[in-house]
Amino acid sequence: METGSPTRDDHAGPTPVVRATDVTKTYTRGSEPGRIGRALGRTSPPEVTALESVSLSIDRGEIVAISGPSGSGKSTLLHHLAGLAVPDSGTVTIAEENVGSLSRRARTRLRLEHVGIVFQHFHLVDSLSARANVALPLVELGVPTADRRRRATALLEELGLEDRVDHRPGELSGGEQQRVAIARALVTDPVLIVADEPTGELDTETGERVLEAFQRATDEQAVVIASHDQETLAIADRRLRLRDGRLQSPAESVVR
Amino acid sequence: MRQAVNRATGPDHQRVRYVLIGVTVAITLLVVVTAVGVGLATSATVYDDDVDYWIVPETDGASSPLIDTDGPSFGEAHTTAAELEEYSGVEYASPISTRVLTVEHADRSEYVLVIGAINSPGIGTIAGVDAETLPRTDPETTSGEVVLSETTGALLEAAQTDTVTIEGEEFSVTAVDEGSATGSTVPVVLMPLSDFQALTESGDVADQFVVGTNDPGIESELEGLYDQSTVQSRAELTASETVDADVPFALSLTAFIVSVVIGTLFVLTMMGLELVRERPQLRTLAAIGLSTGSQVRLIAVQTLLLTALAGLLGGVLGTLLTIGINELAAGWLTSGPIAVAHPALVAYGVVAALVIGVVSLPGLVIMVRRFTRGVPQ
Repeated sequence: METGSPTRDDHAGPTPVVRATDVTKTYTRGSEPGRIGRALGRTSPPEVTALESVSLSIDRGEIVAISGPSGSGKSTLLHHLAGLAVPDSGTVTIAEENVGSLSRRARTRLRLEHVGIVFQHFHLVDSLSARANVALPLVELGVPTADRRRRATALLEELGLEDRVDHRPGELSGGEQQRVAIARALVTDPVLIVADEPTGELDTETGERVLEAFQRATDEQAVVIASHDQETLAIADRRLRLRDGRLQSPAESVVR
Repeated sequence: MRQAVNRATGPDHQRVRYVLIGVTVAITLLVVVTAVGVGLATSATVYDDDVDYWIVPETDGASSPLIDTDGPSFGEAHTTAAELEEYSGVEYASPISTRVLTVEHADRSEYVLVIGAINSPGIGTIAGVDAETLPRTDPETTSGEVVLSETTGALLEAAQTDTVTIEGEEFSVTAVDEGSATGSTVPVVLMPLSDFQALTESGDVADQFVVGTNDPGIESELEGLYDQSTVQSRAELTASETVDADVPFALSLTAFIVSVVIGTLFVLTMMGLELVRERPQLRTLAAIGLSTGSQVRLIAVQTLLLTALAGLLGGVLGTLLTIGINELAAGWLTSGPIAVAHPALVAYGVVAALVIGVVSLPGLVIMVRRFTRGVPQ
């Protein structure tokens, strides 16, 4: 175990895959009153600070786990690191692109090319086979059909799903569905993998198997995982703890 | 394509099946109404450019010299025709009776518009068939002779001197009028009125009179001929012809507009609800990098495939229903088909359904654009 900090600006290695600098995000709880609402004395809804001056950077090959109680801002931070949201202030840079300066379309393209996302609830397309689900991002990238099939099948085999390639999500167990989702996140060979509670829907044994597969498959990528689960947190190189939208310092770090 | 089929057949996509059913029903009704409209538009009339006046019975509905009126008739037809010819200024006059009957020749049998008329010198053509080829023996006796229009000759493969059977009675074909043509290709058999009356056992009655004259003052005298009758001049008939031709067109156009509006509302509502249900999936696809444009294209293709499929089903069902209606009508209401059952109507149904799909697309695109925003939970 070694001591570390959320940011590694003193780190003399290559450019980090993702870097967040002084990221602040505030949400409004409810909607602003209209003209009539204000005339009737309705006040503006309260604002909630989801993230406050959060800074961190993650290098290639590094697994970073983010933990914290519910409502601490884990998911919000993850969305910012994945380029799904734009901060109110501060900057998020993914593969040297400042997310805040990009249009919605450009951010979508950035995610397609550089970020793989694994959701807690898998979010697979029910009407497509496991292979078609995995190959979906490649369709958008214009990869030829034969190549798509080959790459998707290879990834599913790597994750132990060689006999499940033609099954639909409804025919797969929770663990198998999550492994398909991991394969989908990896199929474009992204530099960053973002996983939100990847074992949250799985029992302990299945969760362990999924994590093993996840670790094996993400040697080359920078990985950010948000989780409550100690087993999941244990695979991280660094653990960061969020409380009330702030990163706790110094962060606990572990060596894989 | 796979997505569209899965959507239509999958257990979780009930609303998509509703779209299929709703559009199919709309297109079926459109095809049936259009088939009836086309049937009305192509039904034959005994209009003729040579005729100056038509005397037709007064009815509750529009009075026009349409065929197969099955309405009131004029009595003492031969006597009245003879009187009319005596009028000063009248060049010719003939009572006309029509009925759709089965005509047979060899192993062929067809429903044909059978017209009874008197060969009055100068009468020219009736329903496009040269009436002067009729025997001049009428009104005294029956002749057992008929003239076939070109269409009838072709349908029955009958030629001059052949014998055709009409309702069990045999008639000799004195001529097949090669140059005959009506407003449509309806087959016509022209026979002397006496033969027609004997064949139909209708007595000395006629559905209408046609009168040729160059004296405009004759109209008032014609109006006094029968108490309950209407005299139409050629100018009036031209106007009514226009209306008659426009009604089926208006009917078909209205059916098209109503079907497209109802179908579009159905598609928008049901596909909209389906998109609401699939909002997490749309957001997921956006999150993993599928552009809104790609998702819009996917939804557009699915919608168009779905509506085209519904159009095909509706077209086929509508055509089958039209055939059924014709059978029913032939058996219970009229002596011939009332609607046109043509394979082109299936293609029309597909095109109309695609119009529904295309009109629905902007609304669906707006929904997709909205639903791809945000983060899947």
